[in-house]
Amino acid sequence: MTLSLSAIAMLVFGSVVLYGGLVYFLYRALKGRKK
Amino acid sequence: MVYSVDLRWGMHAEQFFLKNFLGVTSSPLILGGIRIPVLLSLIAIWVCIFLILYKGVKRIGKVVALTVPIPTILLIILTIRGLTLPGSIEGISYYLTPNFSQLLNAKVWLAAYAQVFFSLGLAQGIMITYASFLKKKSDITNNAIITSLADAGTSFFAGFTVFSIVDYLAASQGVGIENLGIAGPYLIFVTYPTAISLLPIAALFGVIFYIALLTFGIDSAFSMIEPITSGIHSKWKITKAKATAIMCTLGFFASLIFTTGSGMYWLEMLDHFISNFGLVAVGLVECLILGWVFNLHRLREHANKTSDVLIGRWWDVLIKFVIPAILIILLVASVVDNIMNPYMGYPWWIILICGLAPVLFIFLLAFILMKIKGNRVKT
Repeated sequence: MTLSLSAIAMLVFGSVVLYGGLVYFLYRALKGRKK
Repeated sequence: MVYSVDLRWGMHAEQFFLKNFLGVTSSPLILGGIRIPVLLSLIAIWVCIFLILYKGVKRIGKVVALTVPIPTILLIILTIRGLTLPGSIEGISYYLTPNFSQLLNAKVWLAAYAQVFFSLGLAQGIMITYASFLKKKSDITNNAIITSLADAGTSFFAGFTVFSIVDYLAASQGVGIENLGIAGPYLIFVTYPTAISLLPIAALFGVIFYIALLTFGIDSAFSMIEPITSGIHSKWKITKAKATAIMCTLGFFASLIFTTGSGMYWLEMLDHFISNFGLVAVGLVECLILGWVFNLHRLREHANKTSDVLIGRWWDVLIKFVIPAILIILLVASVVDNIMNPYMGYPWWIILICGLAPVLFIFLLAFILMKIKGNRVKT
């Protein structure tokens, strides 16, 4: 069995929003600390 | 965790957990005596909480530096193991495939709000207390966003851990995932132990799973006690150690009910009423006070001064109108639903004693403590 298209879409959406967002805001925090 | 060394539950985790370990009685009002192994665990947990909290925030920082990465690493190990099991893709598919019709179900929204409130520690004073330890120039907005994303990201990842292994169990027992218990204590103490028994090197994975669970649990427990001890410490000029000792002793005696044969009923009922009503109601009161009594834009301006992520006027609208409106609708829908379908089919007087009375008691106690004149420590 493989993942359905909607399941893959949820996986991509969740990963991009949560982990992408986390990496982005951590980067901003580190950049702000350097300043 | 101790029982996972020799997988004492065997292939009958439900019987072992409910009958042998907890000695569950037939009703919440039949206490059935204190269960000694549960009592010893309770003592150990409260001693741990005391040792972590009594020296203040510096020790909390050291403990969290261990108790956050360790379970996260253990979760990753368990997920990798889960994903290599036969049938794991079916479990993941069950987890990820959306059912958009549920968006019209008010119960789902209330459960989601309760989960977010509980998971992020909102409406429990946790965020307010920890924020008070920050330096004045800390970037509150960015910290809040990182905390929320890390929390939701961990929950999202933990879903893979659960569903990859749970499907293995469903496949082994020849039943569908929907017929397995995958919520609350049943998941942790019945479904998961059974799944672990089926794994190769089961004892190792059992110990890993319960260490992860213990460290996550202790993190949550001391963060819930910290706001109260900090409050007592600053209001009545009591040392941190004394305030922690008072709270841990009171907490221990208050939680003795959970060590009895009826403890499971009390746990589920209190969890249901405090998560679904108590936290949401406190969140609503916080929004109303912050939005309509406190000068909200001052708070936003302070946050914007120290952050490069600027909050606009939309935040005021959310706190003043949108969130209170949503919480009121959800609360009313939930009250109506609970009147129409009493929780677990229990008679009304049991729900009043075990569910609503503790929630009302918390509000009453908070009001009384607020009214008692304190002796503030200058900070």
